[in-house]
Amino acid sequence: MQTPEFQGTHLWDRLGWAKENLEGYQSDYRVVYEDSIDECAKILVPDPNWMAAAMQGGILPPVWVYWELAKDEAQPDFKKHTRGYLLHETEPVEAMTEEEAIEYLIKKDVPQSVWQTWDEGNRPKMVICRKEQLPATREWRNAWRISDELNLEAA
Amino acid sequence: MAGKIVADTLETGAGADIATSHIVNGTAKFWVNFNGTGTPATNDSHNQSSLTDNGTGDFTHSYTSSMGNVNYFSVGQGYYNTGGNSALIQWTLKNATGGLASYLLTSSIRVDVVYLDANQNRTNYDYTGNWGSVTGDLA
Repeated sequence: MQTPEFQGTHLWDRLGWAKENLEGYQSDYRVVYEDSIDECAKILVPDPNWMAAAMQGGILPPVWVYWELAKDEAQPDFKKHTRGYLLHETEPVEAMTEEEAIEYLIKKDVPQSVWQTWDEGNRPKMVICRKEQLPATREWRNAWRISDELNLEAA
Repeated sequence: MAGKIVADTLETGAGADIATSHIVNGTAKFWVNFNGTGTPATNDSHNQSSLTDNGTGDFTHSYTSSMGNVNYFSVGQGYYNTGGNSALIQWTLKNATGGLASYLLTSSIRVDVVYLDANQNRTNYDYTGNWGSVTGDLA
């Protein structure tokens, strides 16, 4: 199915079109990361409708738009977004492969402090894996850490 | 888009009318139905880019179309069924030990899914059925 010409269309409306016309795509990829020594490893699960929109192309804004909005929100005097037009008026990105979509999602939803320096410490603090590589049960879930073998284990 | 209707007011055949702004502003801007057990998975949603499992009964939902501010309203509930028993559970904004601003953002919301015991103590738990919704202004 061809994506309509969405240049300048509100992102909300673009998502509405995607919801009506695209079949959700359940990716088997998961992103495991640690962003705080006080918390266990976290697992990012891609949304199936978002994946469908990403792989369709012409719907989602470039990821830098989200970084700009995050900068605005980080200002101490932030009350509300005044640059929301970036989401709606910036030319949507082309169709992505599943792997490219996961990379985009990491840069959108994982803290920058994690993905920018994921392999600079003594051990990686972020891993992309398949769903079946994660523990089948959630025993000791609140103690999960990324091990040297890139599997999760109870600390 | 196949077409576009621009109108400030909608009117029924009986003459009752409502401003279209009521619909635009009052519509849920996010909703999700997900399974929190095993490897969590979203069953269906709108305006979610990812679901992050932070620990037991502790989830972050990230938006595709960001909210305009953090004054928005969220609500959710859950359901579990074990041994023939079922119960309603609560979706609450993540316990704000790290400060509310850490968990309530225009780009995401972090919530606890909990049940209350007889003494009203909260316990995080992973349930099979979880539903959440957000109402407010988009960016």
